[in-house]
Amino acid sequence: MAVPEAVGLVDLALKAVTAYDRPDLKPRLTHAKARLTDPAVRVLIVGEFKQGKSQLVNALVNATVCPVDDDIATAVPTQVGYGEDTTVTLVRDKDGGEHAERTSVPLDQLADYVSEGGNPGNRAGLTRAEVTLPRKLLQSGLVLVDTPGVGGLGSAHGAATMSALPTADAVLLVSDASQEYTAPELDFLEAARKLCPNVGCVITKTDLYPHWRRIVELDEGHLSRAGIDAPQLPVSSALRLHAALTQDLDLIAESGFQDLVSFLLRKVVSRADELARRSTSQDVLVTCQALESKMRAELMSQRDPERAGALATELEGARSRVDALRQRSARWQLTLSDGVADLIADIDYDLRDRLRAVSRDGEQLLDDADPADIWEQFSEWFHKQVAHAVAQNFVWTTERARWLAEQVAEHFAEDVDVHLPELRIDGGAVAGKVDALEMPAGEGFGIGQKLFVGVRGGYGGLLMVGLATTMAGMFIINPFSLAAGVLFGAKTVRDEKKRLVQRRQQDAKNAVRRHIDEVTFQVGTDSRENLRQIQRELRDHFTTLAEELSESLAKSVAAAQTALKDDAARQKRVADLEAELERVSGLADRARTLVAEVAA
Amino acid sequence: MNPLTEQVRTLLRHTLAAYGDSPQAAGWLHHHLDRFDEPLRVAIAGKVKAGKSTLLNALVGERIAPTDAGECTRVVTWYADAPAPAVRMRPRTGGPDRPLTLTRRDGALRIDLQGTPVSEVDRLLVDWPSQHLRRTNLIDTPGIASLSADTSARAGEFLTPEDSPSPADAVVYLMRHLHAGDVRFLESFHDRGVARATPVNTIAVLSRADEIGVGRLDALISARRIARRYRGDDKLRGLCQTVVAVAGLLAETARTLRQDEFVALSELAALPRSDVEALLLSADRFGRGDLASPDPATRVRLLERFGLFGVRLASTLIRQGVTDPTALADELVRRSGLDELHRVLQTQFSERRDLLKSRSALLAVDLVLTREPRPAAARLRTEVERILAGAHEFVELRALSDLRAGKIVFPQEAMTDAERLLGGEGGSAPARLGLPDDVGPGDVHDAATEALRRWRRRAESPLTGRASAEAARIVVRSCEGLLATRSRHHAHY
Repeated sequence: MAVPEAVGLVDLALKAVTAYDRPDLKPRLTHAKARLTDPAVRVLIVGEFKQGKSQLVNALVNATVCPVDDDIATAVPTQVGYGEDTTVTLVRDKDGGEHAERTSVPLDQLADYVSEGGNPGNRAGLTRAEVTLPRKLLQSGLVLVDTPGVGGLGSAHGAATMSALPTADAVLLVSDASQEYTAPELDFLEAARKLCPNVGCVITKTDLYPHWRRIVELDEGHLSRAGIDAPQLPVSSALRLHAALTQDLDLIAESGFQDLVSFLLRKVVSRADELARRSTSQDVLVTCQALESKMRAELMSQRDPERAGALATELEGARSRVDALRQRSARWQLTLSDGVADLIADIDYDLRDRLRAVSRDGEQLLDDADPADIWEQFSEWFHKQVAHAVAQNFVWTTERARWLAEQVAEHFAEDVDVHLPELRIDGGAVAGKVDALEMPAGEGFGIGQKLFVGVRGGYGGLLMVGLATTMAGMFIINPFSLAAGVLFGAKTVRDEKKRLVQRRQQDAKNAVRRHIDEVTFQVGTDSRENLRQIQRELRDHFTTLAEELSESLAKSVAAAQTALKDDAARQKRVADLEAELERVSGLADRARTLVAEVAA
Repeated sequence: MNPLTEQVRTLLRHTLAAYGDSPQAAGWLHHHLDRFDEPLRVAIAGKVKAGKSTLLNALVGERIAPTDAGECTRVVTWYADAPAPAVRMRPRTGGPDRPLTLTRRDGALRIDLQGTPVSEVDRLLVDWPSQHLRRTNLIDTPGIASLSADTSARAGEFLTPEDSPSPADAVVYLMRHLHAGDVRFLESFHDRGVARATPVNTIAVLSRADEIGVGRLDALISARRIARRYRGDDKLRGLCQTVVAVAGLLAETARTLRQDEFVALSELAALPRSDVEALLLSADRFGRGDLASPDPATRVRLLERFGLFGVRLASTLIRQGVTDPTALADELVRRSGLDELHRVLQTQFSERRDLLKSRSALLAVDLVLTREPRPAAARLRTEVERILAGAHEFVELRALSDLRAGKIVFPQEAMTDAERLLGGEGGSAPARLGLPDDVGPGDVHDAATEALRRWRRRAESPLTGRASAEAARIVVRSCEGLLATRSRHHAHY
């Protein structure tokens, strides 16, 4: 557990900053502290329906939280996290997610709201349910998110799940031991690996299937062929829940949950932990260096008053170079603005290209058949294709944006590095932090949040409605022709009906084109917005960094000019400064140990 | 001979006469003329690992289709009745069928492709002496949504060929689960052929039903409840005739139950209940536990054959007093839902054989007329049109589709009555009249007269809308048909 340690360290650094009268260094530390006090580690539990996702959550927390049913079960995402008391809160987003209505209900009534039986098709319009439980496992900050399996991985809903991945710390793909991976499941894993730092493959219901080892073996083959590196975790929720009742240790071992829990704690939580340590340590180190540089400048000038003037000039020069970093013409600024412009163009092209392919296939299908016969199947297929295209585009956007952020960080670090050897900034660490910043999990940010809300506000829901209304006028068909058409499939359309069919085909194709336009516009606008947001965040981040550096250097210049005339006073000041430097470097050592512990 | 099949046969011959000079068309039509007399072809389709081969074995009552924990069926395989077992491979590239060797291992059939890559195999043809294949040929298809795109493509190609009617007369569509999102699987483009095949020749099976309730003893009740819900689902009603829940593995094993298995199960049942329950907690435990008799190897075999649910159910039944293997097998078959599936197949497919065969043949004629238009085609096309519009079987079918699609509205009770009279629950007279199968001709006559009176009144009522009155007149004709041919129907079955 790094968090209490890290909080202590940040508190200490905050005290030092106050003591040395450097309020300019304070925001960075308070920000770090705020990050540490919300340690949520989100784990998404996804999979096709009826694979035992809800039961897995129940077995993990050893309580019947998520409703389980032989027929349909989960309709609303349910989030299970730590709390001293057992509470259930229903959240309903309003005004596009800006306001949320929160209602508390007793745990035993949860099923009435989140299950398909109690709330079919999420008629109540809930965004999610939040459950807190006093469980040791959750105390580590783990938040388990049980997602509805409705529609399967390939559907619009699946795409919504996918876009929530970058904001999650881990994703568990749940698939039962009755069969090896299907194509949609492998597709999902492939995308998940690119979007999410930790991916685990949970194979459930090992109690029920004697051949589960074969399935695990087969899946392993599929994973290695696809080049996906993710651990396989065969479990039996039923055994785990039974074992909790009987306290049978053998059963617990057989249930496979030890491996799953250790994956969650050792890999997922500890990775989040490691990230927290690393960034805290980095923040404290930067603070220490800022403090040190001023003290060192003063120390040098006190020891050797002759050189004070030269030192001040040198530092002044350094400062003006750092200030140049804040100019629009700085290399990292250009990298960023050019990069984002390129990215927007590329992503837009990619989206158009993918959707054009969907549109082309769709029109081809409509050409080959009477739209009246196939419309329902067609629109389902069509939505899946669109959702898939949007999801793939999103994966690519995320990858490219991450790469750009690294590039910018590198250029910034290089420029600082060249001119200011004393204020070394670790390029890798900056990139690491940028990585976390690029897709913040904050409320109302970017595609991820919006799509996760999914059913209601996401592209899927929005566009489905759009298409349904576009096509409503198309079904003016006389019943006889439809019956005959259905009976004979689309091949035997009679000549006299051909004209009608052609009109329907034209109408359907127009609807497809209009819909594709709509999607291109909506998704394009959102992803542009998203990238602009990333650009702003990155610019602000590095500008602040440059400002901090400049401020530190200004202080150092001032300090270099304070050389005392009186020898005795000077000796005393030198001793003081040395002692203070000692203290600051002690703080820096502690910051370094915080990371070293991880490595050990 | 049924007048419809006679008409269609004549049409086929006329078309053949008109197209005698085109070898391709003639070959195609000859093939369909022959097909008319062949058994009904029922394809078993569904997503990968839905339990298609297992269900096929259960239907035949023998383990002839290879099954495995991994994805197994990769080639379309036809099973037909024959005096002696044999298997042939039809190459994709054309050329004559090549004989292959058949071996049996652990009572299950193995087919060795002798190194031919599956991509070059068009289909496997398995001859197998079985009375269950006599009137129906079964066709096992590779799974849809398979990881191997080729395998999926082979299934798609078979069920939804690009440019000709599907070679199957009817389809049993297997699915493991189905809810709001899953209805779309049936309709989804991948299954286009199945869905487009119109509800008349499709029935849906909720397969692996025992797993729905994660192996609990009441799992099948749960599965049946779910199947019932689907049956009432408006969307699904437009896609298939009905939905049946079947525990495929249980059915397969029950129909091939062996004495040694019964002995082992009896030994299990003799153990104290709590011991058995502890053993049955998980598949691993059951295979591993330190119990002398039945020994671990036997238990692993039992698990293989019955599944955890099957072992649980069978041992409970024995404990409750089922004492001989036959009684156990019967009870297991009944519980597995196989009986219900048999009944549905009988009423929906076998009794509609003429209709389904005629439909396939009409599609074939239509294809020829469209592909090779010539002057004679106009006359033949009119004939196709005439049969379609005139044959009461097709009229009934259209009315039934309209009723199910909600295009024609009657009060609830009349709706059910109309669907039944139009043959929605089977074509036999008792089924149409909602009477038990063994009812006497007198009762049939009375019930049919009563139905006729009822529907005539509805058809003539000034309060009935035009479309509804039209439909009511079709029901009236069906009732008249019942009165005219009631003895024929009885003689038939």
